[in-house]
Amino acid sequence: MTLLQSLTTELRRGTLTLAVLSQLRKPQYGYSLVQSLEASGISIDQSTLYPLLRRLEKQELVTSSWDTSESRPRKYYVLSEYGTEILQQLKEEWKKTSDELSILLKGEEEDESD
Amino acid sequence: MNLIELYIQEVTRRLPEKSRKDIGLELQSTIEDMLPEDFTEEDVKEVLKKLGNPAVLASGYRDRPQYLIGPEIYDIYISLLKMVLPIAITISVMALVAEKVMGYSGNESVMQVILSVIGKGIWNAISTGMQVFFWITLVFAILERTGTGIAQYSMTTWQKEWKPEDLKDIPYVPKKKAITRWEVSGSVIWTAIWGSLYYYASNLVGVYRSGDNGLELTTPVFNEHVLHSYWPLVVIAILLELLLAISKFRIGKWTMRLAFFNLSTQFIAFVILIIIFTNNQIFATAFMDLLSIVSAGQKELIGAVIIIFGISAAIDVFSGFRKARI
Repeated sequence: MTLLQSLTTELRRGTLTLAVLSQLRKPQYGYSLVQSLEASGISIDQSTLYPLLRRLEKQELVTSSWDTSESRPRKYYVLSEYGTEILQQLKEEWKKTSDELSILLKGEEEDESD
Repeated sequence: MNLIELYIQEVTRRLPEKSRKDIGLELQSTIEDMLPEDFTEEDVKEVLKKLGNPAVLASGYRDRPQYLIGPEIYDIYISLLKMVLPIAITISVMALVAEKVMGYSGNESVMQVILSVIGKGIWNAISTGMQVFFWITLVFAILERTGTGIAQYSMTTWQKEWKPEDLKDIPYVPKKKAITRWEVSGSVIWTAIWGSLYYYASNLVGVYRSGDNGLELTTPVFNEHVLHSYWPLVVIAILLELLLAISKFRIGKWTMRLAFFNLSTQFIAFVILIIIFTNNQIFATAFMDLLSIVSAGQKELIGAVIIIFGISAAIDVFSGFRKARI
């Protein structure tokens, strides 16, 4: 792994939780979640996603249930009340960070063009 | 189908028993979701490639730490090792020296004993070091796995939250006032050496001549039973010196109180020395006869001993006060 790659992974790691939580307002199973994330351009390593889901469940941010009514049983995940609350706060944090960063980066671009 | 089952098995066998079934089922349905309606073995391979190495996937599921000692307690682990290792090694070497000195039968030459002490001492130091390292590491590894909560709060900082005011409780130790660990172990070793010399005077302290077995002790210096009749005084001196060493270690720098403690310890030791050496019977007659050959008297010898001891004690006391006053 190059330095750029590992820095990028590090940068993305924190946003992953936010991305996953944002897609779980309605129940989703593993693969449907992958698809909806990919639809918005976020490619996520599947070997990271499934363990992440279980971790979120352990942290009580999501709840899970097995749906056996269809041809193949699927495990559905959905935000818990606590998870909805956390998601709201995380979203605000993210907006703040992204605003701050864009100001910083804009300043840097102007410096460059001077 | 076979490949899928093998893949799931490769993942779940690395997981704790209780979560195996659930994760296995979820993986199964996920893999099937990813496959097209009529899939070929090539499709399966493609999907499994996306999921990646089963060992990596399994390690994502495990929440047990994949390290022996984590960053929260690493600091205290290292500082404890640094503190305990030298002490343990010193004690083990001292115990060996004491054992050799006490077990001295007179059959071996002194040189042989010294060589075997050095050889065995190095070996003892290494094996004690490894033992200490192993046990401390084991305790911390267990702590890491069971008591992370405790560890996080009480180990790194020893306090719940650090405040700048905490700095006021930390004693400032200037280099010139500091008492090093080596100084403390040095004085403990010195006490052990003279204590053993006292206890085994008749086997160790005397005039040596080269004989059939290398050096042999021919004439002991002291009258053993006279020398040993002073044992309560000697024990007092040893205890005082050990107590002084412990205080030096705990305080870590020269203070006025410590300097006064040092003064009284040195003074009491000096008085005890004078009491012992002014006894007329302290030297063995055979040794006195030898002395008269080189035309030296008992008085001169005693005087020399007392003066040498007095001067070195005075230097020690003085430097203690000087450092305390900085």
